[in-house]
Amino acid sequence: MTLLALDQLSIGYPRREIARDITFGVSAGQAIAILGPNGSGKTTLFRTVLGLLAPRAGRVLLDGKSITTLSAPEIARQIAYVPQNSASFFNFNVLEVVEMARAPHLSWFAQPGAADRTIAAESLSQVGLGEFIEREFSELSGGERQLVMIARALASQAKCLLLDEPTASLDFGNRLLVLDTLVKLKQSGMTILFTTHDPDHARHVCRESQDQTLTISRAGQVSIGATADALQIKALAALYGIDESVFSAHR
Amino acid sequence: MVLLALSVGRFPISVAELFSLVGAKLLDGTANAPENADLVLFSIRGPRIVAAFAVGAALAAAGAAYQNLFRNPLVSPDILGVSSGAALGAVLGILMALPIVAIQGLAFIGGLAAVAAIYLIGNSLVSKHGGHDPVLTLVLAGVVIGSLLGSGIALTKYLADPYNQLPAITYWLLGSFASITKKDLAVALPIIVIAALPLIALRWRINLLALPDDEARALGQDVGRLRLIVIVAATLMTAASVAICGIVGWVGLVVPHAVRLLVGAEFSRLLPLAMLIGGTFMLMVDTIGRSIAQIEVPPGVLTAALGTPVFIWLMAATFRRAR
Repeated sequence: MTLLALDQLSIGYPRREIARDITFGVSAGQAIAILGPNGSGKTTLFRTVLGLLAPRAGRVLLDGKSITTLSAPEIARQIAYVPQNSASFFNFNVLEVVEMARAPHLSWFAQPGAADRTIAAESLSQVGLGEFIEREFSELSGGERQLVMIARALASQAKCLLLDEPTASLDFGNRLLVLDTLVKLKQSGMTILFTTHDPDHARHVCRESQDQTLTISRAGQVSIGATADALQIKALAALYGIDESVFSAHR
Repeated sequence: MVLLALSVGRFPISVAELFSLVGAKLLDGTANAPENADLVLFSIRGPRIVAAFAVGAALAAAGAAYQNLFRNPLVSPDILGVSSGAALGAVLGILMALPIVAIQGLAFIGGLAAVAAIYLIGNSLVSKHGGHDPVLTLVLAGVVIGSLLGSGIALTKYLADPYNQLPAITYWLLGSFASITKKDLAVALPIIVIAALPLIALRWRINLLALPDDEARALGQDVGRLRLIVIVAATLMTAASVAICGIVGWVGLVVPHAVRLLVGAEFSRLLPLAMLIGGTFMLMVDTIGRSIAQIEVPPGVLTAALGTPVFIWLMAATFRRAR
């Protein structure tokens, strides 16, 4: 069953098209890595899928329904977003940050209750931060913050996660920790879409046959296919506009 | 604090006399207190104390809300020009020698009009040229409109008669609780209370405004509508306060910031405590201001004198945390 489908989607702003004719579908337990040079429109694609930016053409379908017919909380209950740079929250504690994900489940005037708190605490345990509930978010390391943001996404109980460069600016150990968490979430049946600048990270998470890699070139050309094919030297050289010989020297 | 504020002043009333006066008022009897004490208590000092507490609480609540909205712990309730708008309204009223009620009305309208203009300009810029940070646009619109209003105030002062109007303008701009009457309270207090209600009802959801717009929207929040509600509520509270007592700075900036350091940023916890401490602080400042010297020290001067060192200390505390 396809959870999220993009149908002839064209993304961009009123006066500027960024990419067009994006068509693919993802199901439960499937991961898609998204690669492309800076400014190629990876974040714009996410914003469009999240319903934050209107499509220029085409449709985004969630469980078969166009997101333009869904309310913002309805979308938020199905797709969760993990932003690239976790914001400098004032001094919220970790549990308070994660509890914010309960907003689409609550009415405007409601406060999160015991059940919401349990869900938030369980999400933190799921990413291995069960002990961090009382800690201040601003005092965490970059990797821990990223895991808290993933826990927040889990606490929304969405089935599909969109992660914008989840490994950017993390040290080596934290990168592995985050990538490993993504693999585990995928294996537990979540749908994962994430952008990255590192082909190895795409290979790490999207290594199974149902997983795919999507590339967006700076000219807005989109292609999607098996990770191994999409990340061949020839394809990468074309995607980033550099000579193949640079790759062989690098290796 | 309230008992102390009720007793001290140029006409001291002992605590025993206070209770006797209140009892007499309630039971329609005669109080065991000096002549005129009940006039001082119920018509002068009482309303003044209620006003000081309400204004302090209102400014602290508005400041807390704005600090969340602008994702910046160092903004004050007048960041969107409510004070400069209100000040221009009031000084124009003084220049035209209008009665006090009209001056207060003009201050209130001026405050609202300034914020409305800034909000509309900011919003139309963002919607016409999408992709820009709406919060930053609001701040920039606030800065330029605020400086325009400031020059309007300067012009009014320049044109004012230096013997009567200019002192009145200066007095108003410094803020004072000295001339508050029950009638002022009857208008301002309901506005403050009604404007506080949405902030109290939405206290948890207002946390989401501390997130970048895209994040809050991805959590299903209609950010534009929530932001508008907070701006309207905080502006009404500030404008009602400024209209009755003039401009009292610092409380709306320092109190919520300090409370946030104490109990964290979570707005459900922050708001009630900020209101309580803001009210108490203002009451204390006003009580000191009217008892410390022969003449009354304007509360704006005292809040600045107390606020500046506290603010520097808070900055240091914030920097220590950030490290």
